Formats: sequence, structure tokens, C-alpha cells
Amino acid sequence: MIEMLQYDFMIRAFLAGIIIAVLAAISGSFIVLRRYSMITETLAHSALVGVAVGVIAGTSPLWMAVVAALVSAWTIEYLRSNFQLYSDSVLAIILSGSLALAVIIVSLAGAFNSSLFSYLFGSILSVTQEDLIIMSIFGVIALSLLGLFYKELYFIAYDEEVARTSGIKVDLLNFLLVSIVAIIIALSIRIVGTLLIGAMMVIPTVAALQFKQGFAKTIAIALLFSLLAVIVGMSSSYFFSLPSGATIVLALLFIFIFSLVVNRR
Amino acid sequence: MKFVSPIFEVKNLFFQANAQKILEDISLTILPGDYCAIIGPNGGGKTTLIRLLLGLGKPTTGEIKLFGQALSRFKRWNKIGYVPQRASQLDQNFPATVLEVVKMGRIAKQGLFRRETQEDRDAIEEAMAKMDVTDIQDKLIGELSGGQRQRVMIARALASKPEVLILDEPNTGVDVVSQQRFYKLLRELNQNENMTIIFITHDIGVIADDIGRLFTVNQNLLTCNNPKEAISCEDMSALYGIDAHLIHNHHHHH
Repeated sequence: MIEMLQYDFMIRAFLAGIIIAVLAAISGSFIVLRRYSMITETLAHSALVGVAVGVIAGTSPLWMAVVAALVSAWTIEYLRSNFQLYSDSVLAIILSGSLALAVIIVSLAGAFNSSLFSYLFGSILSVTQEDLIIMSIFGVIALSLLGLFYKELYFIAYDEEVARTSGIKVDLLNFLLVSIVAIIIALSIRIVGTLLIGAMMVIPTVAALQFKQGFAKTIAIALLFSLLAVIVGMSSSYFFSLPSGATIVLALLFIFIFSLVVNRR
Repeated sequence: MKFVSPIFEVKNLFFQANAQKILEDISLTILPGDYCAIIGPNGGGKTTLIRLLLGLGKPTTGEIKLFGQALSRFKRWNKIGYVPQRASQLDQNFPATVLEVVKMGRIAKQGLFRRETQEDRDAIEEAMAKMDVTDIQDKLIGELSGGQRQRVMIARALASKPEVLILDEPNTGVDVVSQQRFYKLLRELNQNENMTIIFITHDIGVIADDIGRLFTVNQNLLTCNNPKEAISCEDMSALYGIDAHLIHNHHHHH
């Protein structure tokens, strides 16, 4: 078990995984409680457009993914608040639109290859030193913002109107939350992959909710589950040479089933 | 005489939704220390009026001032405590303890980089004690009865130490004994702490003795400054169809 940590790539992968686990569990809890889980899927597919551009242009795909996810998040919020559209249809439209765009970009450049596969399903081999630095910087920023505003975000998640009438800047904080989530999703695609990041944001919280605790405890449980899944998932990825996104999501699924069974009445 | 700026000052307020008139030419003034009830038939626009006063909707035309300031420029929201009607419709499985919900009342008051101060803790404790929810502070809100949940929502509003308390049908699903205790508490807040109280209600009979001012909203507005004389407010039964008898009889019971 310990010998896998002899490899630098594995240490980098674990560090990246832990950053993602913490960020995804905390930000995911607000998203889940606001019934907004599907935005994670949409933003992940938009991040893929950035990856495609990055791979072709030879710039860092991670940077491009962050930019693409942010643009997508802001577009979604703009459409939601300025047009009479259903939230979930906006998400569906942007999801398919992004995927179509990404596929076209990649096809035109003839770049369908194994590196793209790793962006779809995650790979512990793919985390570079540069990736880790980018993830740490954005990770610290995202975590500080969540730390500063978690009380407000919590209030809004529970009761948006009263939060508004008590003087909390609801629109600004909603905007901030989707921006943070967009960044976290973009950062996660190395480890978890575009097609699987949604589970990482959603399952820890949904599993934690089964234990019927207050908010602070629920977040703590979600955090624990998230870390456990990343460690178990990445270890299995190493031992069985499987895409890390898939093993992490399977680990999360087992945790979810466990939570359901344990709390059944 | 010192000039007191009104808490709410509404002039010629109109509100339309989908070409349907909801509120028509409403003007009213609520002064500090007022104890007002808003009654009216369902769909008459009571809740809409309150929501407009709180900036949760935009009037079609008309002017709203809060504490002497135009609504759009009003910033001191911590002076206002609001308990919406749909408290019972909020997600009952939301992971929150009673204490966590009451604490929400202090969030807007604490600045950025804030930690909970002794003042916060005192305000939270005091609010919980007043609403008698201290004993259940560690329970999940999903485990509470309708009445308990309503008291928690009011405790949250009180935790911010508001100057005005606005309640929308606060007694939906609450038993009679708790209702009477509840009105007694509102009265005390009004008399002892000079808190301005505005509430929407159906059960005008129970509180007719207490309230200072009565507003009837059914698209238009009618004000009775002395609710005990509601019977003599001639248009009232026409507008609302209220059983004036009920108010009158009730007066004798006490």
C-alpha cells in the first residue's frame, strides 16, 4: 500500500485528489441543497470545451477548462435571470451545446487520442507539477471564499427570501457560488474526469444527508466520505490500472448505498 | 413635537401581474410603535403588499419609503424581521438544527471576517428563550411540529433585534393555546420594546381587542384606526365580508 507513494506521480495525484475531495464536498453541499445538482454536469461538459482548445492550442488545458467553465456558469446565470426559461432546460441546452462544440474542435484537429480519454474519465498519471500548482492556487482561493461566505450561502440555501430581506446580497452570492463551483469542476477533470465529476460533487452530500444531522455535522460527514472515496478510488486505480474517475465514483456509490442501508428505518 | 420618520410610507402603489390588477392605489403610513393587522380575503393581495414593502417584488407604479428612505436605496435591512407565510413549505429535510436556524438571524449583522460575538450569542439565547425553543435547540427542524417550527422562524427574526416585525399568517397550523400565548408575546414586544408589529391574519376575532390599527386589503385598502369600531367601518363588510359580530362578541368574552 505504502509503496505506491514512492512514485512522484502518485503523490501528486493524491495531493490533487485531496484538494478536489475537500472542495467538491463543501461546495457540493450548497449545490445539492439548492436542488441544483445538474449544473455540475453542465459545467463539466463546458470545461471539456476548454480542454479541447487547450490540447489543440498547446496551452494548459486546465487553464482553458477554468475559463470555459466560468464562461458557461455566467451564461447559465444570465439566461436564467434574464429570459423566461426553465432552469433545467437551460442546463440541458448548455450541456449538449458544449459537448457538441468540444467534439467538433477535437475532430477538426484530429486529436481524438488517449490523452482526451484521460480528460473524460480521469487519470492518476496525468497530474503534472504545473497542474498541482494551479490546483493549489485556485483551491486556496475557492476554499477561502467558501469559508468567508458559508453562513450566507447556508442561509440562502435554506430560505432565499428571508436571507434577501435580512440584507444578504443574494444575487451576488449566487453568482459567486456558481463561479466557485465552475472553477472546482474545471480543476477536477484531471483526477475525476468530465463525465464523472458530477458524482463527486453530489454523492458525498446526499450520502451524508441520510444520517439526518445538522448542517455542520452533515458537511463534516460529506467531507469524510469524499476523502475516503478519493483515497480508496485512487489506490484501486493504481493497483488495477483503471481510470481514477471511475474507481472514485464506484467508491462513492458504495458509500452511498452503505449510508442508505445503515439509516434505513 | 419631534418629527418621527415613518417605518413604512406608501404612496399610490399599484401592482399588476400578467395584466391582472392585484393592488390598486394603496397609500399607507406605518409609524414606529404601531401594532397593525392586515386582513382580507385570499387572493386579495395581502402577501403581495408585504412582499412589495420588503423589496421582494417591483411595484408597477408608486412610491415606497422605508425609514424615510426610498426602497431602492434602503440598506438597513437588519431593522426588519420577516417571518414569511410559507415557513411550513420550506424543505423539511434540510439539515439544520433549531439553533442553526435561529443563528441565521444574526448572519447579515455580522460583517465579513466575523466571528460570533458575545452579543450574537446573547441575542440568539434571548430570542430562543422568548419563543420558548431553548429546550429543543438541538433538534432538527424536520422533527418539529408546525407550531414549533413557526416559533423557530420567529425566533430567527427576533435574533436580529429588529425594530419592525412582519409576520405573514403566523398562526397557520398552530393550536389555540399557543396562539393566545403568541399574541400576548407580540403585545409585549410592542409595548415593552416599542417594536413595530405588522401581521397578516385570518383570525381577527382573537386579537381584535389588542391591535392598534387594522388594514383591510382587497385590491384596495381600507384603514380602521380603531379596530373595535370595525363594525362602524361601513365598507368593511362589503369589502371583506367579515363577520363583525365575531369581533364584537369576542370583546365581551374577556
